[in-house]
Amino acid sequence: MSARAARAGELVLALGLATLGAFILIETHTIAETTSYSGVGPRLFPYLIGIGLAACGAVLAWQALTGGWRNLPVDDDHAMPDWIAFAIISAGIVLQMAIIGIAGFIIASAILFVLIARGYGSRRLMRDTLIALVLSTAVYLLFTKALGLNLPAGLIVF
Amino acid sequence: MDTFGSLLAGFGVALTLKNLMWGFCGVTLGTAIGVLPGVGPALTIALLLPATANLDPTGALIMFAGIYYGAMFGGSTTSILLNTPGESATIVTAMEGNLMAKRGRAGPALATAAIGSFVAGTIATLLLTLVAPIVVELALKFGPAEYFAVMVLAFTTVSAVLGASVARGLASLFIGLAIGLVGLDSQTGQARFTLGIPELLDGIDVVVVAVGLFAVGETLYIATYFNREADRLETMRGSIWMSRSDWRRSWKPWLRGTALGFPFGTIPAGGAEIPTFLSYALEKKLSKDASEFGKGAIEGVAGPEAANNASATGTLVPLLTLGLPTTATAAIILAAFQQWGLQPGPLLFETQPLLIWGLIASMYIGNVILLILNLPLVGIWVKLLEIPRPLLYAGILVFATLGAYGLRNSWFDLLLLYIVGLLGFLMRRFDMPVAPVLVGMILGPLAEQQFRRALAISQGDLSVFVAHPISATVLAITAVILFGPPIWRRLATR
Repeated sequence: MSARAARAGELVLALGLATLGAFILIETHTIAETTSYSGVGPRLFPYLIGIGLAACGAVLAWQALTGGWRNLPVDDDHAMPDWIAFAIISAGIVLQMAIIGIAGFIIASAILFVLIARGYGSRRLMRDTLIALVLSTAVYLLFTKALGLNLPAGLIVF
Repeated sequence: MDTFGSLLAGFGVALTLKNLMWGFCGVTLGTAIGVLPGVGPALTIALLLPATANLDPTGALIMFAGIYYGAMFGGSTTSILLNTPGESATIVTAMEGNLMAKRGRAGPALATAAIGSFVAGTIATLLLTLVAPIVVELALKFGPAEYFAVMVLAFTTVSAVLGASVARGLASLFIGLAIGLVGLDSQTGQARFTLGIPELLDGIDVVVVAVGLFAVGETLYIATYFNREADRLETMRGSIWMSRSDWRRSWKPWLRGTALGFPFGTIPAGGAEIPTFLSYALEKKLSKDASEFGKGAIEGVAGPEAANNASATGTLVPLLTLGLPTTATAAIILAAFQQWGLQPGPLLFETQPLLIWGLIASMYIGNVILLILNLPLVGIWVKLLEIPRPLLYAGILVFATLGAYGLRNSWFDLLLLYIVGLLGFLMRRFDMPVAPVLVGMILGPLAEQQFRRALAISQGDLSVFVAHPISATVLAITAVILFGPPIWRRLATR
């Protein structure tokens, strides 16, 4: 990533923080104020935190515009980001979220496992699928039978 | 009861078969996750929180503490053999220890790390035993104003003192504080920042945040930026045992590292990185032949390893006596206490002495078990390093999504998990520290509570925070820490 792109990323992140701070300040108005003996209700801390976030965002935005964030480590690790890996892993998590209720924990987690392994460059689909099924079945049995956690069985019923 | 009697009673608790088993589970799991890159103690304890909610708190907390300091032992193995720090506090070990391994001295490097960790862990536990009752004595005089003041001090040191940038540290802290706001206000029961989403009424669970930041964020980050690098695992050649000269060169760094690490853990500055770096610099300075540093000097492994272990134990002093977490892992352990309705602090020493002293006693035992696990059995842990990266991270994410989904079987928590993961990815990419998020999220609501209590007692008079001598002193220290360095720099350049 070029230095300019990195600066742009810093600026966007800083503005995002400032926006979040502003959002908290606005949203705080919708909290009904009830002051007791203390004279302090549920609004004061949100105000302070909103101001703090907005201030940090402003300072970081100013830093991004004047030569970049301070004291960053030497940046040679970020030269070649692999956005395909990023997308595959993201897809894995989103897919897991979408199908876990229907397909059940074992199938959804096995698909997640295979996709993450693929995102990390694994080409051995058969091996990954086999390990994924064994692992997610073992985890399912351990957590539901031994630890009493409730997980969706979905399509595979024991 | 005096300290010795309390500790003896604690051993009575820790030496029961059940608690010995929990302790053994903890240190074994701790060593394993310390060895594995990409999994840390904060993540592991967060994942175990839902599964342990119905267990006896004493046993579960003994296990959690074992995971915490066990990970410090295991982390050194990865640093030495792989030159990838298994734990952030073992960066220094990764430099000198890996060079020793490259020169065929992996065995002595692992041995000095393990024995140093044992020596430091045991001395630090002894110091914890002696210091904790004194702090408790002082903390019993604390009112809400004093608690609020020490929490503000902890916020400042965790975010502003550590790390490269005050602005980024504070930004992380405020993100954590903002996450902590979501949900019902503890005093009036009003919904805050729930955006009309019923799932948010209970607040955002600490499991989701910790797992999102540490597992999802880390997995995305490593895949995007470090995918192509192949790891070079150094093999263990030659003897694992240290020679007479290795012992002679190691024992003083162990003690010096402990002396540096424990106080750093104890003051609410948290983090084991600073004392390990200080220890490394000190050993380099004291060494007769400084040129050996950078080529694999055993002192450069012995000192920092002792320092990071002593500091991990040291962080339990503010956590147990004041309820102040100063590292990400300590914040999760505090959340664990809260899950059983327990609030660490001076009162817990009176209401649950057996739990607290059982926990402390278990650490003496845990350190002995860890020495055995990490010296003769080190070969087993090395095998863990041979797990291919794709399978390792795929496994981590299966457990991560299980932890988030298992909370209440809601896809919404997986959505939150991914959003927090994206945040964690960005924070890693732009070098923002993660620990302040967790400390802010967990300590923020407690700080607000104490603040409002203090003002309720003073009937809205803000001067209560400076009128009490203890809280005034603590707030003054906070101001010096926050504003001192920039003013000093300005004066110095003039």
